[in-house]
Amino acid sequence: MKKVLGVALGILTAIGGFVDIGDLVTNAVVGSRFGLSLVWVVALGVVGICLFASMAGRVAAVSGRATFEIIRERLGPKAAGANLVASFAINLLTLTAEIGGIALALHLVSSVEPRLWIPVAALAVWLVLWRVKFQVMENVAGLMGLLLVGFGVALFLLGPDWGELMRQAVPPSPPSTEHPAAYWYYAVALFGAAMTPYEVFFFSSGAVEERWTAKDLTMNRANVLIGFPLGGLLSVAIAACAAVVLLPAGIEVSSLSQIVLPVAQAGGVLLLALVIIGIVAATFGAALETALSSGYSLAQYLGWSWGKFRRPARAARFHVTMVVAILLGVGILMTSVDPIAVTEMSVVFSAVALPLTYVPILVVANDPQYMGCHVNGRVVNALGTVYLVIVVVAAVAAIPLMIATGAGS
Amino acid sequence: MTHERIVDARLHLLSRQVLDADGEPVRAVDDLELVGPDGQPARAGAEVRVGAILVGPVLFVRLFGGAVPVSRQPRIAWEDVGHVGTAIELTVPSDRLDADWVEHWLRDHVVGRIPGGRHDPEADG
Amino acid sequence: MRVTRWRWVARGAVAATVLAGTASCTVASHQEPGQASAAVADALSQAGSAAETTRIVVAQLSRGRLTGPMADTALLDQLRVLDDAETALTTLVPPDTTSSDQRAAGLAAVGDVTDVVVSTREWDAARAGGDLGGAAAVPPSADALLADLEKATGAVDRALALAGGP
Repeated sequence: MKKVLGVALGILTAIGGFVDIGDLVTNAVVGSRFGLSLVWVVALGVVGICLFASMAGRVAAVSGRATFEIIRERLGPKAAGANLVASFAINLLTLTAEIGGIALALHLVSSVEPRLWIPVAALAVWLVLWRVKFQVMENVAGLMGLLLVGFGVALFLLGPDWGELMRQAVPPSPPSTEHPAAYWYYAVALFGAAMTPYEVFFFSSGAVEERWTAKDLTMNRANVLIGFPLGGLLSVAIAACAAVVLLPAGIEVSSLSQIVLPVAQAGGVLLLALVIIGIVAATFGAALETALSSGYSLAQYLGWSWGKFRRPARAARFHVTMVVAILLGVGILMTSVDPIAVTEMSVVFSAVALPLTYVPILVVANDPQYMGCHVNGRVVNALGTVYLVIVVVAAVAAIPLMIATGAGS
Repeated sequence: MTHERIVDARLHLLSRQVLDADGEPVRAVDDLELVGPDGQPARAGAEVRVGAILVGPVLFVRLFGGAVPVSRQPRIAWEDVGHVGTAIELTVPSDRLDADWVEHWLRDHVVGRIPGGRHDPEADG
Repeated sequence: MRVTRWRWVARGAVAATVLAGTASCTVASHQEPGQASAAVADALSQAGSAAETTRIVVAQLSRGRLTGPMADTALLDQLRVLDDAETALTTLVPPDTTSSDQRAAGLAAVGDVTDVVVSTREWDAARAGGDLGGAAAVPPSADALLADLEKATGAVDRALALAGGP
């Protein structure tokens, strides 16, 4: 019974933890411009993140080593160092976007300027990292993030023309007014949003934090394989809400207030309030994960002691790194840059950075020295190779597409 | 080590995690110092052995070139190494290692002084 | 031999990327007429989007499906969009009289939308119980605002048609 509860809890937190500010913004923008014609990318991204998150969890559970330790051992200090710099920078950008997202969501309910919320949000993130137990932190953020189901509820209340939505999705038919380059640019952005590279650091290090062993692998697989696809459905619901309400009105999404308008139209103040709590929880959870990931990656590369399971004083450099990362994020936001713009940048650069983390994980998951009998099976490797190609193509295409389309405008 | 085996410096030593006597991570091996059998600087043509594990600024030297003054070079004496496995295990606790001074300084002057800095997160909810 | 050729290809690719990158941020001073019209149409579609967003906000607010602060935030966001659209239009240097006319019509339309959004915010504040003093200036009802929005949207559509937009 306890085990069933554990699995259920894991699945629910995986659903609630799937969506972050990147998914939220990108899906709404895409829904308002391309309808559901990019749903296939969400599906592609969900399968990819399932594949790699379960691989990262397995590597950590079996070898007891987290990603960046292994990356440095395998690639040597030079290549791993270059990888660290790129991963850390993009992770920082994502952290910045998440903190900005918290501030924007709080701005919605309070009409207090986001710039005043940013330090508050950052302080709250730090306090949780400082004091709250890892499991508690994960479960609370994940469960409250489940309130984003409100987007699904809103979709049903809106009573859309389901046939029309299906027609947009299969076969993918983008509106004729949009340029194909813009379509592919958003395809890459959506892929980057769904597969965010920090998840891999987070999953592998989280497995060490929660002291997983080979015995926990089944549970890990269930969480990922059931939780993430359902989380992906939330993403699709966000896009569909935008496609139903915003697309016909010709609204170009540029702010969080527009993203939640369909929810207000469908369910009124109560549903809206629940969804906003969900957004705060989801972005807050993701801010915690990205802040931890910045500490994890640097500490693992340099061999410092790390982890929330230690007293902060026993992992002093790790905690200082996280504080510095949060302060840098706040600094970026305080230049009054638009957090939505930061988010759009972060998902595209996430797509660029994907190979940096996924290739080493794929290599190590096949290394019997680390994995023993738990090396990748044939099916996983076949899928892994297909995704390797997709990930590399997306990474290579991202920057040229961004330049060609003027970041999608 | 009770049995003999071949240790490949690049494969088994460099970039490996160093753990102290309590199993706590200290650093990764950034470089190795080679000395002569009498502890004197290594000479060409003569026998050498690993004298110490080097950590810290030497990593930047390996990446970008340059040199670190020997007096400022944090090192962990090879005598303190107890076992070489997937990680390198020391026989001394990290508190006795000068090489880990950044961690100690941050612990004593920054992190340990913030309320809750010595709180055990696993102890309660 | 092979190596050098690859190096040239690589250099060419880098040069092309840099060129493409800098070309996209050139100053708008010397534009083709088509480019100017496209810029006007772009700004107008932003204004149209802001007007539609405002329309939804007014409709939901009058049905009680939106709270005052939420609506205020949404309207503030739209004012920022309109500000960007106006900046895009005012900084444009029209290459000929046609695009100059398009720009003038566009600026007027963006101004119309801005006016309505501003009075919507006043209305929202008045509903929330704010004391605005000269209450005569505040539009009395959602219907009046929606009618104003209709007019402003019409102006945007006409200007858009003039600029050859969709």
